[in-house]
Amino acid sequence: MTTIRVGAAPETYSGKGLYFSGESAEATRAELAVDEAAGTLAMRLPDGTRIDWALASLRRVRDQAGGDLMVLRQADDPVARLVLSATEDQRILLARAPNLHRAPKVDGKRKLFAWAGAAVASVALMIFVLIPLLANNLAAVLPPAGERALGQTTFEQIRTALDDSGLQPVPVCENPEGLAALDKIGETLFPDEVEGFDLTVSVLDHEMVNAFALPGGYVVFFRGLLEAAESPDEVAAVYAHEVGHVVARDPARIALRSAGSIGVLGLLLGDFAGGAVVLFLAERIIQADYSQEAEAAADAFAFDVMNAAGRPASAMADFFDRLRAEYGDEPAIVQHFLAHPAMIDRIEAARAAQPADLDPAPLLSDAEWAALRDVCSD
Amino acid sequence: MFWRGQRGTLFWLALKTGALTILTLGFYRFWMKTRLRRWYWSAIRPDGLPLEYVGQPVEKLMGFLIAVVVLAFYLGVVNLILMFVSFSLLAAPGAGYALSFVGVIPLWFYARYRARRYVLARTRWRGIRFGVLAGAWGYAMRALVWWLGTIVTLGLLHPKMRFALEKFRIDRTVWGSVQLEQGGSARMLYPHFAHVMIGLFLTLAPLIDAVNAVSGLADASGTGRLFLMLLVGVPWLIYGLVRYDVMGRKVMANAIRTSGAGGGIGFDAAPRTARMVRIVVLGNIARLFGAMIPVLVFTIAIGAVIAASGMDAGVLDSPFDLLMLGNGPVPGWALLGLLGLAYFGTFLMWSVLTHVFLTMPVLRHYVETLTLTGADTVGAVVQRDRDEFAEAEGFAEALDVGAAI
Repeated sequence: MTTIRVGAAPETYSGKGLYFSGESAEATRAELAVDEAAGTLAMRLPDGTRIDWALASLRRVRDQAGGDLMVLRQADDPVARLVLSATEDQRILLARAPNLHRAPKVDGKRKLFAWAGAAVASVALMIFVLIPLLANNLAAVLPPAGERALGQTTFEQIRTALDDSGLQPVPVCENPEGLAALDKIGETLFPDEVEGFDLTVSVLDHEMVNAFALPGGYVVFFRGLLEAAESPDEVAAVYAHEVGHVVARDPARIALRSAGSIGVLGLLLGDFAGGAVVLFLAERIIQADYSQEAEAAADAFAFDVMNAAGRPASAMADFFDRLRAEYGDEPAIVQHFLAHPAMIDRIEAARAAQPADLDPAPLLSDAEWAALRDVCSD
Repeated sequence: MFWRGQRGTLFWLALKTGALTILTLGFYRFWMKTRLRRWYWSAIRPDGLPLEYVGQPVEKLMGFLIAVVVLAFYLGVVNLILMFVSFSLLAAPGAGYALSFVGVIPLWFYARYRARRYVLARTRWRGIRFGVLAGAWGYAMRALVWWLGTIVTLGLLHPKMRFALEKFRIDRTVWGSVQLEQGGSARMLYPHFAHVMIGLFLTLAPLIDAVNAVSGLADASGTGRLFLMLLVGVPWLIYGLVRYDVMGRKVMANAIRTSGAGGGIGFDAAPRTARMVRIVVLGNIARLFGAMIPVLVFTIAIGAVIAASGMDAGVLDSPFDLLMLGNGPVPGWALLGLLGLAYFGTFLMWSVLTHVFLTMPVLRHYVETLTLTGADTVGAVVQRDRDEFAEAEGFAEALDVGAAI
């Protein structure tokens, strides 16, 4: 075993290295010694020049392959290098140079933080200001055919994104009697055509308790919502509310906004999570993160429609009260409403204002209601 | 040239840095790239002296941030407008996607050139910097035109394009005071490209024939002969592609001339196609099987737990149903964690084994079969100025077209 002597008489150390000045490609043989008094590694070149590197300033170039060479540099000199090939020399320097394994100083940290700030600001500006602004204005001038195509595309994306099995999109329920019952609700609520829109109402075979609207007149219920509802009027109230969003073109705004955001977020997350971004945004569309004003307008629309059709607007209040009691605050649709407590107050108000003698005939017959709730079985 | 560097050390370095990248949600990848490049560069020893990679992780991070600032605008606003135009004029998203894709292509070439410039600007040999002269937009425009021509001629122009673009890059490459220049012409690539064409013909002709036979356009009597043709055609195509790649590099490297103070260096490359075919085939088999290990481990573990808890595996609809396996010897959340490990472990293993069984052997073969000629003049080479490069390889990183390493 080799003993490395420190302290007394270390000047006996002498080694050899290859010195590169960083000015020319010349490899210069250097005789090495440790100058104990000055605390330096002294390199003597063939032409007689002596170069001193402070032991404390020595850094080893890291992550080197082969394990045979030790490449040394000074902390504050970016170009000059000393290459040691003898194991003995390497061992002695490992013992004598105290900061060999420290990383060389990184400069320009302030610049880095400035760019990091700029990057965060520009992404935030895009996602929270520019894209919504642009999307809102563009949604207003999107022609009906284009809006329908946008809705169709988004619908397919959502069906794919919600699928757990990874095999096929979430199926659309097609039981004809159930769909006929759904149509009957639609005809009761909207005896005349909804102006400018060709409504397409579908049910997705998924247990989520929710419903959402898409651009171009698509209204989509989840099976879970139909199963959680206890009367056709509750389904009708949700139906009217979603049509309220369609008429206000809220979904077109959200869909355009997400088309812009996908690019920006995908850029940030890199190849790490391409699919997750789409999933996340699809989720956002379903959760329908509309503004408070948009929700209020959709609600007002729904109350008007329910009243005009002679149906109890309070059905919505009943439905949400029960969902909260039954599931807690967890279902997405409840969360959605919890975000706007004022709306619940308004629903309460609507319930109070509703004529006490309103006792309409059932919206659907028992058979129709059963068929609607069974729309996902063939 | 020598190669010094073992699979084992590379494996641990790639595994460690890859795991950190996953744990930091991708943030560590700038450090990972830097450290792997340091390793690869230092394994390459022209004339016995290692190359050094001096790029910094922090400058890569900053370059990425700069690219984000610029691209956030482009990707956000331009995509949104393209989608709008596409939906309002054509009522379909296809044109919007296509246009936004086409819009990125020039940027893609630009980013590739800039990334190469950055990497070479941070590469040194004998303490002297390499460098690439400016020209990214010129490169992008030429690449666009060449690719268009190549597609129009069904690939026949590919050797011409390859030569022209490589010449553009090499003619702008320097090492200290030494200027590189690509000599020769596209003619030296065509003999090797011919094998790609033969393989392509032998593969496509029977396929087209088979499609015709199935659709009733031709009689199916020659099916056996067609099958034989395919049996020859596919290996020939693979061989042709590898040969065109490897031999193309060889003849191009041998035609490089150098000038300037200390010039006179030349290359004598002798890589072998057969060896490269073996590396590629065995390497792909190795990484495929290696990446399956985490999946296998998990499958066995979860199978054992399900069997032990006497549960019906059919009730597991989604991974989160594992949480219900509470009464078994292993809690459900631990199984879910194991599933996560298997998922990321598979990706990690794949990328680590790609380094160990493909990137490294390929690079090593090129290095070991390359001889530097006229290296006795290199002492006269003098340093060039540092190429400050604020955006590093940020665009390539953001657009996901980074270098192989």
